[in-house]
Amino acid sequence: MSAARPIRPTGLEGSALKGPFPVGEYAAALRGRLRGLARVQVFGEVSNLGLRPKAVYFELCDLNGALPCSMWRSDYDRLGVELANGVQVVLGGGCDYYPGSATSSPSFTFRATALRVAGEGELLAQIERLRRKLDAEGLFAPQKALPRPALPRSLGIVTGERGKARDDVLAGLARRGWEGRLVWAFAPVQDRRAAPMIARALQDLVVAGDVEAIVVARGGGSVMDLMAFSDETLCRTVALLAVPVIASVGHHTDRTLIDDVAAVSCSTPTHAAETAVRVHCGEARTALTADARRLATCGRRAVVERARRLEDLTRAPAEHVARQRTWLHQMVRELRAAGRRGVQGRRSASATQLLVLSRRASAATADHRRAVAALPSVAGDLRRKRDAARTRSARDLERLRLALDAHDPERALERGYALVEDAAGELVVSAAAARSAGRVSVRFHDDRVTARIEAEG
Amino acid sequence: MSERPSYESAAARIEEIIKRLDSGEAGLRETLDLVREGRELVELCAAELEAVGRGLEELRLDELVARLEAGGRAPDRPG
Repeated sequence: MSAARPIRPTGLEGSALKGPFPVGEYAAALRGRLRGLARVQVFGEVSNLGLRPKAVYFELCDLNGALPCSMWRSDYDRLGVELANGVQVVLGGGCDYYPGSATSSPSFTFRATALRVAGEGELLAQIERLRRKLDAEGLFAPQKALPRPALPRSLGIVTGERGKARDDVLAGLARRGWEGRLVWAFAPVQDRRAAPMIARALQDLVVAGDVEAIVVARGGGSVMDLMAFSDETLCRTVALLAVPVIASVGHHTDRTLIDDVAAVSCSTPTHAAETAVRVHCGEARTALTADARRLATCGRRAVVERARRLEDLTRAPAEHVARQRTWLHQMVRELRAAGRRGVQGRRSASATQLLVLSRRASAATADHRRAVAALPSVAGDLRRKRDAARTRSARDLERLRLALDAHDPERALERGYALVEDAAGELVVSAAAARSAGRVSVRFHDDRVTARIEAEG
Repeated sequence: MSERPSYESAAARIEEIIKRLDSGEAGLRETLDLVREGRELVELCAAELEAVGRGLEELRLDELVARLEAGGRAPDRPG
């Protein structure tokens, strides 16, 4: 674009308006006029917050409207506060306008120079109150109780016609290899018309679309952008729908009420599509082919194995008899061998015993011969010993006879001694006994005489 | 007549059947019955996969609704 002053064209024919003015001049004049407006304080809820190196951008909104705001980063840092989406703030500042250039777009902003955090935003609080209400009514449960097909033939998608979510859903379905019937229900996903039109699209998809699951998808945005998905009527519609709804609204940090009432809540449209079709079609086809092959193998194996078994059983009796016959033959052979071994053993033992006996007989014969040869000598010895013994015995007898004779009382009587006996034949060995006996018998070696004992006197 | 099983219940039943057959505990009659049931389920699953493998069919709800309001009905896919 040339920096030279543009040639002013002829104005609109018949128009009473001033101009035409070069737009740059008009924009500069507009900025001056806006900056001239009274500086004020406004309050509302922060959304769509963006922190940039030179400035902080956000929207200040309430239920009735919104204002694009900005603050120089130096002013923001000096305040020492940390803004977040949904926070209620009071701003001080005034209108400003950036006229743009050849390379940048123009923009209007409420340039804030002062800021105070005033608490949690009313919008978020309102959503939270509605969340508790729907939960108390049990509206979070019905969708989750619905059966969700793993491989639906038809899907309904509710999203913005020109949004990126549409491409993300298609990418998710392509990743699953799913090529079924897809019914697009395009609806606004941001403005005031969004909630009722989304609710209507959902109902139409159930009635006319004949779909088995519905994905509601929208990309990220501010709290205000996503407000339609926290709409009470829409949430009640979703909760009572007979077809499972998979919600993917905003980023994973955003939580709208449709996320609570839906059957499943996903962080991205791609993930939502993959959740709607849980089966990976390519892998499933491969697995199914393998299953079919295994089934065929199992069936064939069952029959073949049993046929073989039957065949084995048919052969079994003959084989059994043959086995028994072989066994018997073996037993007979072993018996014969054992018999031979037994006879041989006994023969060997007998020979050994015979040898032992013959050796013992030879030894006995030799002993006998030696004994016979020694007999004369032994007889002589015996005779000599006998004679000696006789001599010794005769000598001993004589000696004993002489000893006995020495003690014989008859020999004493022969030498002059006499025995005195009483009438009973008892020996009287004392004078007193003699006096007492009165009459005694006195035996001499040749005869006996009777005597009368008289007292001395 | 019993309700047509879903893809996932059919796939799960096929897994059960194969596990039972692999265990070697099924008798001949049961084996043949299981194989027959498994084949039917494989055909069912194959039909389901075939139905979502013929190329993506994209429709617009507003067109379907207009067609219905005009007295027609939503087009059915074979299978």
